[in-house]
Parts: sequence; structure tokens; C-alpha cells
Amino acid sequence: MSDRDVTQRIIAALADYLKRPPSSIEPDHHLRDDLGLDSMAVIELLYKIEEAFDIQIPDQDLAGMATVASVAQYVNRRLTQTTQPAATQSRPTAKGKKKR
Amino acid sequence: MPGQIVVTGLGVISPIGIGVSEFWKAALEGRSGVSAIAGFDPFPMDGYRSKVAAQIHGFAPERYLDAVQSERVDRYAQFALVAAKEALADSGLQMAKENPRRVGVIVGAGMGGMVMGEREITQLYQSQRPHRVHPNFIPVITLNSASGIVAMAHGAKGPNYTVSTACSSSAHALGQAMQCIREGRADIVITVGADASITPLVFAGFCSLRALSTRYNDQPERASRPFERLRDGFVMGEGAGALVLESSSHAKKRKARIYAEVAGYAATSEAYHMVIPREDGEEVAATMRLALADAGVTTAQIDYINAHATSTSIGDAVEAKAIRQVFRSRADKIAIGATKSLVGHTLGAAGAIAGVATVLAIHTGQIHPTANYEEPDPACVLQGIMASVQERKVKAALLNAFGFGSNNAAVVIKRYAP
Repeated sequence: MSDRDVTQRIIAALADYLKRPPSSIEPDHHLRDDLGLDSMAVIELLYKIEEAFDIQIPDQDLAGMATVASVAQYVNRRLTQTTQPAATQSRPTAKGKKKR
Repeated sequence: MPGQIVVTGLGVISPIGIGVSEFWKAALEGRSGVSAIAGFDPFPMDGYRSKVAAQIHGFAPERYLDAVQSERVDRYAQFALVAAKEALADSGLQMAKENPRRVGVIVGAGMGGMVMGEREITQLYQSQRPHRVHPNFIPVITLNSASGIVAMAHGAKGPNYTVSTACSSSAHALGQAMQCIREGRADIVITVGADASITPLVFAGFCSLRALSTRYNDQPERASRPFERLRDGFVMGEGAGALVLESSSHAKKRKARIYAEVAGYAATSEAYHMVIPREDGEEVAATMRLALADAGVTTAQIDYINAHATSTSIGDAVEAKAIRQVFRSRADKIAIGATKSLVGHTLGAAGAIAGVATVLAIHTGQIHPTANYEEPDPACVLQGIMASVQERKVKAALLNAFGFGSNNAAVVIKRYAP
């Protein structure tokens, strides 16, 4: 998946969450200052992103995610990492069951 | 006239001790009750971001309770029964000599009977056999099961209800109990806070909310660190606290030992956000001011604050800011303690357990340490937060409690003076 694809999917998730057209959301938009997301809304957004990209985002990684682009960069980095054989994040059992 | 409202009995069941003496001894040592969660049978902990909690290990209800009674209620209500029984015995109250309609029970509980709740829901969805849902499911999960069973255990026929305001539930229960006696509707109110919901679903929910500490999964006893620079969320706890509240006239008539006076209470809503406090601290400050006014106590008289202090980044900072707004230059002269540093966040039990700690501070002149207070966070520096025991003759104390749903409570507890 390209950087652009990841960004577009995150913008789509945000547009869905905020109930506004994707075209109105820019990569350099600040989640709080431009899009009006409070800390709870960011957590809800990340919950959607975790599902969409099949990753788990540890609490410690939240600090750097201020803009749409920084979220996309983070997700991209994680996707590259998880394609490596030694992925550190294990999937929860319940999720595995659901997939079967 | 009921006169003042006083505390005549205490009970507690906590991750650092069952019973007041065990709890207080551990509290003064600054002992942490947090440990690694062994697992939620049949779940491994791998899928959970946080892996620590302040659990009460090896609790055997049959040691404290009648078997039939305790089997009919969930773990949180068992805790309520144990704490209430201790508090009543401690108060010396003999129910046979009391008018039962003048004895109330008010319980604070945030989550209620989640152990059975989760089990029955899971079984129903898996088995799809509705006729196998346990006949006791509804009475157990109904949020007033604890206030009901405590009344039944002691024949208390006065006002009986449960306050549920998440993490501030039992601070409100304390305030409601005080008001109930003040209004003349009861002479005695057995006031309890109880919660026991370290269960697979509830714990997962708090993980998803990113409210729990995850940094200290390998050092559980360091995870709950209110006001400290490296805090990263609260630690779930479980337990119960109980306080027998009584009119001073009634307490004097029966020559009861009086621990302290519950002098004032305020209940407010921030009307702001389900889980985030207003960052300027104005609402928390307003709640504290209202409680002080209700008690007729000035800021200059407060010498101890048992803070809500859950160990979350924003919550502790907002509370510290609010304390500074209300107390100004005096803020650094007040002893400030966080009971959650020891027992984690016991949710609906938190206000009552903090209430027991506050009453004991007044009664004994010792304030328990705030565990893990290693390096002050510049966002919440207050000189009165100490990692060691503080010896102080506390004349008046403030107990703070804030809950999801944008609600705040503050209770003023004073040294009793006839």
C-alpha cells in the first residue's frame, strides 16, 4: 500500500467519523485544531484505524499523532514493520476466532 | 434536631488488606496492592494493552458471610456485605435496640454485578439456550443488589438506594447519607461503596478507552502513580469501603465512639464531556468551593485533601490546577494524598475507601503516603504530596471524587467537636 493510499483511507475514515466530505480534509490538518477532535475522538478514530489496517496501536505511540499526515506516516511505518516476519504485536484470540 | 452528622463505624476490604486494621497498616507503609493479572480464564492477557490491576486475591466469602446470602449476590455485593458488617460491628450499634425504619443503607456502585453479568451474557450467546439463563441473573445485576442485601443482612428498613455515578459513586453516597440524616429521614445510614469488575469485558473496555496504565506491565507495583511525572493512566482496583453515619444526638445517646464529622457535600455536573474534564479546572474548583460553603468551612481551615487523583495524565493535572485556584498560596501547605496510589482505582468503591482513609487521618493524625511519588510532574506540583507518612493533626479535610458523565463530588470531613 502506498503512502497516498494510506492517507486516503485515513481521510475516508475521518470523513466518515466527522460526517463531512473527504475533499474537505487535508493531510496537514491538525486533528484537534483544524478538525476539532478531542482526545476521546482521537481514540475512537484510532479504534477504526486499527480495524481497517489490522494493527494494534500501543498507548505510548499516541503522542506523535497530531495531524492527518502524522497518523498516515505512523500507520505506514507499522504496515512496513508487520510485513516483516517477526511482528511484535500479537493478535488477540477473539479476533482470530472471528476471522475463522 | 439531628445535630451534626458523625462517623461511628468503619469497614474496608481492599487489595492491601481486608479489615480496617490490616488496610491502615499497609496504607501507612505505602504498600501497593497492584499485581500482574494472571489471566481471565480462558483468556490469556496477550490481547490486553494493560496487564496489571489491584485485585483482592484469595477472597473467601464464606469466611465472612452466611453462605446462602453470599452465593446469591455478585462479588461486589459480597464486598459490600463484608465492609458493612465490619463497620456496624465497629460502631457498636445493636440493631435489636434500634428502630429499623430509622436505619438506612446507601450504596455507591459504578459497575455492579459484572462477574455474573458477563458470564450469563456470554453463555446465552454461545449456547443460544435462553432457558439456561440463571434465575438469579436479574436480581444480581440490578445495580441496587448491594444496598438490598446489606439491608436484609441487618434488618435496616430505612431509606435504601444505590447511587451510580461511575468513579464518584460512593463519594455521592457519603454526601447523600449525610443529607438523609440532616433532613431527619434517618438516624443512621450505613454508607457503602463497592465495585468488583476486573472482568474480561470491563477490563477490555477500559483498555480500549486507553484509560489504563500500560507502561508498568512488568513492574505492577509502580503502575499507579498519581501526580507523578511518568504516570500513564489508572490501574483498575476492586473492593469496598463502609462508614456508619449517624446523627450526633443519636451517637451521644448510645455513648458511641465518634471518629469524625461529615460536615458538607457538593454535587455538580460539568455538563461538558462524557470522559474528559474541563481542562481549566474551573468546574472542579467550583465543586470544592460549594462543599466548603455547605460545611461552613473556610479554605484556611482545610489541612488535608484526599484527592481523586487516579494517575491519568489530564485528570491529575486538572485537579492540581483546581486545588491551586481554590486554595491559592495555601495550596502548598495542605497535605495532599492519593489513596489510589495504594489500591488502584476501585471505581464505585473509591469514594468510600478514600472516606475511610480520610476519617482515619483525622482520627490517628497520620496521612498515608502517596506511593510511587518519585518525581513531581510540573503540571501538578503541590508541596503537600508526599511519598512518606505525614504526621499532622488534621482538623478539616476535603475528599474529591469525579466520575465519567461529567460529574463531580466533594465531601468535607472534620474533626468532631461537640
